Amino acid sequence: MDLVARCQAGDVEAFETLYRQHSARIYTLACRMAGSAEDGEDLLQEIFLQAYRKVGSFKGQSALGTWLYRLALNHCLDYVRSRQAKMNKLTDTIDAETSFEPAARRETPIARLDLERAMERLPEGCREAFVLHDVEGFDHKEVAELLGIAEGTSKSQVFKARLKLRAYLTKR
Amino acid sequence: MHPNETILNDYADDLLDPVERAGVDQHMAACAACRQTVEDLREILGAASELELREPPVRAWSRLERAIKMEPRLESGARGFPLDGARGRQPGGSGGARLKGSRSMWIAGLAAAAVLVLATAVGVRYLPANRTDATPAAASAPGGAAQSGAAQSIETELRQAEAHYENAIKGLEAIASSEQSELDPRTAATLQKNLAVIDQAISESRAAVRSQPASEPAQQSLIDGFKTKIGLLQDTVALINEMRKGNEAGAARIASGLKQKGT
Repeated sequence: MDLVARCQAGDVEAFETLYRQHSARIYTLACRMAGSAEDGEDLLQEIFLQAYRKVGSFKGQSALGTWLYRLALNHCLDYVRSRQAKMNKLTDTIDAETSFEPAARRETPIARLDLERAMERLPEGCREAFVLHDVEGFDHKEVAELLGIAEGTSKSQVFKARLKLRAYLTKR
Repeated sequence: MHPNETILNDYADDLLDPVERAGVDQHMAACAACRQTVEDLREILGAASELELREPPVRAWSRLERAIKMEPRLESGARGFPLDGARGRQPGGSGGARLKGSRSMWIAGLAAAAVLVLATAVGVRYLPANRTDATPAAASAPGGAAQSGAAQSIETELRQAEAHYENAIKGLEAIASSEQSELDPRTAATLQKNLAVIDQAISESRAAVRSQPASEPAQQSLIDGFKTKIGLLQDTVALINEMRKGNEAGAARIASGLKQKGT
């Protein structure tokens, strides 16, 4: 029996194999979309629990990893929408911190850890657009569809995120 | 005149058509500020596309496994999955195996209950911000009265959260201390040392909250302390379960994580 069939039969060991294969990718996506490792861990838990419940309906039209990634992305987007609705923090303007002026030059290339930390500080709205576009590689049309915003808004949110990151990384 | 933000961003992403691109090239030849902006945007884009994957904490699978085993379709017993995952192994005879399964269930049940309590406490934690935004009456009340009411409400909710966390901690501590003989002495000592460090931090944060009830950093620090302690205790329970299952690799992974907690 292959892994999919074993998972669909409710085999917990097979599901653990699936988890070991894909948890890093899903956890990384969840942490970055949520903006914290703490929320990312909770999302990871919810996503895999949902996958366990839904794997029986997987029809094999795509790879299991692709199906799982879509499920994870949808779950993260639901989480982000629900949090935005509660907090109402989506901002459309570029504030003083995201100056269009040249930033001071860094002497060293951007360290991955610094970038991860800076991404956590990005405001709701622009962080998700940045993660989907610059990290996950979706184009602006896809980002717009995923986030339910206009394509132009996706572009401006990504730009805003990049300027904020530049400011955060220069102020180190 | 500088190109607008959309054009500069599209230039950095190579999305402009040749004519627009030539226009920006021409401007940038004489504008160091725009050149640097484009360079920075591209550096961030490049670094973002090369970010590495992050491994979830070792406890994450144990938490998930516990939750899966509490799913209704498994509880029905239709497929007969062993609750401790030790399929086919019967150490100590059938009576012993049954007892072991039942203790694992008890541990899993208590730990899951603690997780549920934690989720409730986390929900409580977000209440103050939401309430402040969503209560027009409080916003229109005279400043001092409204602020004092909000502070009292935050304090009450924090106390509720504290009570939830303490319940969760109590449940997990009961499991961890009754099963601690399963741990090797060095791991048990590390655990005690880390718990002492976390308890000290909780105690300091609690004192800070008592002296400044409205201080968000103090509240956050206290909640973080509780969550760290719960995480450590959850890891301990997961470690005990892995050792019971005879999963040395899993136990070693969790034990190595335990050593880093509380430091």
